[in-house]
Amino acid sequence: METLLDLEALESGYGLIQVLWGSSLSVCRNQSVLLLGINGAGKTTLLKTIAGLVPTWKGKIVFDGVDLTRLKPNLRIAHGIGYMSELGMVPNLTVEENLKLGGYFRTDKENRKRAGEMFDYFPDLKAYPKRMGGALSGGQRKMLGVAKTLMSMPKLVVMDEPSSGLSPKFVKKVIEVLKFLHERENLSMLIAEQNVSFLDFAQKIYILDKGQVTFGGDVEELKGNDTIRETYFGISQTVRSQPPSPVGETP
Amino acid sequence: MNLFVYTIIAGIMYGIFFGLVGMGLNIIFGVLKMINLAHGDFIMLGSFLAYWLYGFLGINPLVAVPIVAAVFFLLGLPLYYAFVPRLIKSKDPEMLSFILFFGLSQVMEALVVFFFGNNQRSIPSTAFGSAGFTIFGQRFPIAWLITCLVALGAFGFVYWYLQHTRMGRATRAVMANRDEALVSGIDVERISALVFCMGLVLASIAGIFSFFVIGASYPSMGAELTTVSFAIIVLGSLGDPLGTILGGLIYGVAVMFMQSYFSSWAEILPYVLLIAVMLFRPEGLVGKAARSA
Repeated sequence: METLLDLEALESGYGLIQVLWGSSLSVCRNQSVLLLGINGAGKTTLLKTIAGLVPTWKGKIVFDGVDLTRLKPNLRIAHGIGYMSELGMVPNLTVEENLKLGGYFRTDKENRKRAGEMFDYFPDLKAYPKRMGGALSGGQRKMLGVAKTLMSMPKLVVMDEPSSGLSPKFVKKVIEVLKFLHERENLSMLIAEQNVSFLDFAQKIYILDKGQVTFGGDVEELKGNDTIRETYFGISQTVRSQPPSPVGETP
Repeated sequence: MNLFVYTIIAGIMYGIFFGLVGMGLNIIFGVLKMINLAHGDFIMLGSFLAYWLYGFLGINPLVAVPIVAAVFFLLGLPLYYAFVPRLIKSKDPEMLSFILFFGLSQVMEALVVFFFGNNQRSIPSTAFGSAGFTIFGQRFPIAWLITCLVALGAFGFVYWYLQHTRMGRATRAVMANRDEALVSGIDVERISALVFCMGLVLASIAGIFSFFVIGASYPSMGAELTTVSFAIIVLGSLGDPLGTILGGLIYGVAVMFMQSYFSSWAEILPYVLLIAVMLFRPEGLVGKAARSA
């Protein structure tokens, strides 16, 4: 598979505090990649570094053959990286305005067509085009965040904890939507999560711990690794068949 | 009864003007999250430029609006790029911005005193003719009406820009969440520069018409106007430009009441309002959204 995003030994942080210590990972075209890690592992910082919101201290970010390491965030989006933060949308803009904002680089005509597609994907949003993002329910906000990110027709979608703050029912729905979009739009995805429900959806998994990638492989490899399973998911051999629990709740 | 009616109508007109006085400060705060402590000095500079255009070139204040606006827009660009990006990258941009804009305010005042002296200046209200107009039996100078119309035009422009243009949508996104705006592909730096210049332009327009509402222009008026502007935007809602209009109206009517009935206490009104809002409704009257965003 052709590599779309390649992170080479990334180091970054905030002020004097270093968070990433040489993290490397890659995402191939049309691949869904899950980045797992407990709170404080550096997942959000890694995604923000990819998006350009946190500066890269050392290392390289190559996207679709282009070195984006020193590029401004808004220009990275123009290259085809769609970033969805935990918030995902702008609360004081309406649903319609959020979608237009997502397609900031696109023409009005393109945006109208794309917004129509988004409303088809997310009928809940279609019912409230004039409602403020902040007035939507938690699940609808996530849907709006996904739709806003997709408005720019990105090659790669980078998502920061799309399940955060959602009930298990909505988490299931979010996963269904992402699976559907992954197939329908041939999207490459890099999703940072603590919720192991997302394992079903991932073709490749990375585990981030203390700012370093400690595991990279597919689901079967992960399931076969007792140390990782027990350390990060608290799933021992005896309870392997039980439903997975969120990483954050493990001791 | 006549005095009461006059107070209400004059207060509303006064308030509309003061909404314009605060608008520039609030729009800059909304985007940059910085209080421009030199805001009042930009109003003062605007008034001095209008005075000069009227006194030496005979340009009517109304005609001076686009000229002064263009000058301040062009002045804003180098000022923005010289100071603001560095402030934003610093460890404590809010505190540093206080110090920097306070310093800028002092320099501006000192330069104006140095070049033009400390005297008060004024453009007579007859610059718009000697006619007056009557509302509910109360007569007001035509200059007040023109001032109100210009301020309302400026509010209309800000509303149109924010609600109906692509850049305005981007500005609202930056006001709500700078990072979210960046990852939407918005050139936040460019929007910030544009809004900074827009803030100075609004201040300069308020400066042109300050002669007809305040009476005169003088170098030290900047600090007073910054305090008043700050009280107005806190009253309306910090970061919500349209809340400034409400803040201005409340301030205007309150000042007129004080001047009509308790004139010796009128001067302390901005401070009293500021303390009252901070104590009882720190998010401002318009609401929570803008402050928490």
